[in-house]
Amino acid sequence: MQRNSFKAFTLGCLALVGLAGCGSESPTATAPETEPTETASAEGDRGTLVIRANGEDFVREGFTTKDGWEVQFDNVYVSLADITAAQTDPPFDPEAGGTLEAKAEVKVEGTQVVDLAEGDESADPVMVSEVEAPAGRFNALAWRMVPAESGPSEGYTVWMQGTASKDGETLPFAIKVNEELAFTCGDFIGDERKGILAADEEADLEATFHFDHLFGDGGAPPDDSINTGALGFDPLAALATNGTLDVDSAALQAGLSEEDYTTFLAILPSLGHVGEGHCEEVRLTAL
Amino acid sequence: MRLKLALALALGAVGWALPVLGHGVGMEHRRVSSVEVQARFETGEPMAQAQVLVYAPDDPAEIWQQGTTDDQGRFSFVPDESVPGTWEVVVRQAGHGAIATIPVSDGAGAGAETNNGTGEPAPATTEPSASSVISPNTTLSPVQRSITIGSVIWGFIGTALFFARGKR
Repeated sequence: MQRNSFKAFTLGCLALVGLAGCGSESPTATAPETEPTETASAEGDRGTLVIRANGEDFVREGFTTKDGWEVQFDNVYVSLADITAAQTDPPFDPEAGGTLEAKAEVKVEGTQVVDLAEGDESADPVMVSEVEAPAGRFNALAWRMVPAESGPSEGYTVWMQGTASKDGETLPFAIKVNEELAFTCGDFIGDERKGILAADEEADLEATFHFDHLFGDGGAPPDDSINTGALGFDPLAALATNGTLDVDSAALQAGLSEEDYTTFLAILPSLGHVGEGHCEEVRLTAL
Repeated sequence: MRLKLALALALGAVGWALPVLGHGVGMEHRRVSSVEVQARFETGEPMAQAQVLVYAPDDPAEIWQQGTTDDQGRFSFVPDESVPGTWEVVVRQAGHGAIATIPVSDGAGAGAETNNGTGEPAPATTEPSASSVISPNTTLSPVQRSITIGSVIWGFIGTALFFARGKR
């Protein structure tokens, strides 16, 4: 009898250890133990967070590439998933490579496809979604880029369509990117501060895309890093057939030189920003 | 291009020294706590003459001080020690930007940082979802820790009892 009791107690302890171990692998609340946890859901302590995506003037107004092509975009579709805005303290620094620990976070459900070329140069950055969120300082933003499930860019994470002109030649193009990406970013850096959400008010957060990293900037000196690291448009134009460029990632891999394709892949993780602030890409760079 | 902000924090007691007077010229000095940041591109090139914006923790939406870096990408400022919390320094140049966060303690050395830089009460934590890009915190809760510790201790006791029972 005594031995049976001992066995039963030991088995009970093992079960408790198992439960404790399982619990450690589950997502848990990330607030320190001393933090209050009462205010987020209280009436009046919430506001509206507006998530926007911005291709900047390069996309809406067009630009000159580092190799002299005048590029105008008709559409730049990006497919965004798991958009997550977070309040972090200490503030998350993507360049330090640490773990982002959220005191509070909100997430946009589902996949959103937006056209960064929508609107003229005076238009606001395109709205992706509005979410109700606890008041506070949203100083981190993360999102994934996955193939679009439907719509004109179905199957692609990025779809750039427009025309490129140089020396009297006009080349319609469609450049379709298959690679999945995931960006984890810190605070927005720009002309104004974003993500400061007061109760019953509205605040913006912005996922920003720097396509000049891909094509270069004809307005910058040739030895500027924005140009020395860019692919430019010449290598892409060389893949045109019958006066049209229509390529996806597989066609780029097959058609570009190994060096140019490597450059193309290396640029993709640098597309995502928060204004001028940098992000850590954690999907493609992990492959 | 990635940017780096190096941070130097020079601390000193705040206090005024008595003025020294001679031929009608007055001078006084005081030691203050100052912060120096240095901004560089990833190549190591300093962000010279870059825009600098300083934000205080009690009002992170409004610029508390602004200026420009020197030719070495350096900028110094003296935070108001009566406003403890996380001060922020933003350095911008030619479409690139970086931000440094600087915890500043109050005179008592406590409460160095506000919860989110707004001075507002900390909001409740929402549960990070499984598919979130943001990594969840996997630290053990106090209950889980207690159970684990207790179980380990009982394991030792049980093992000791097992070997102590002797042969029957």
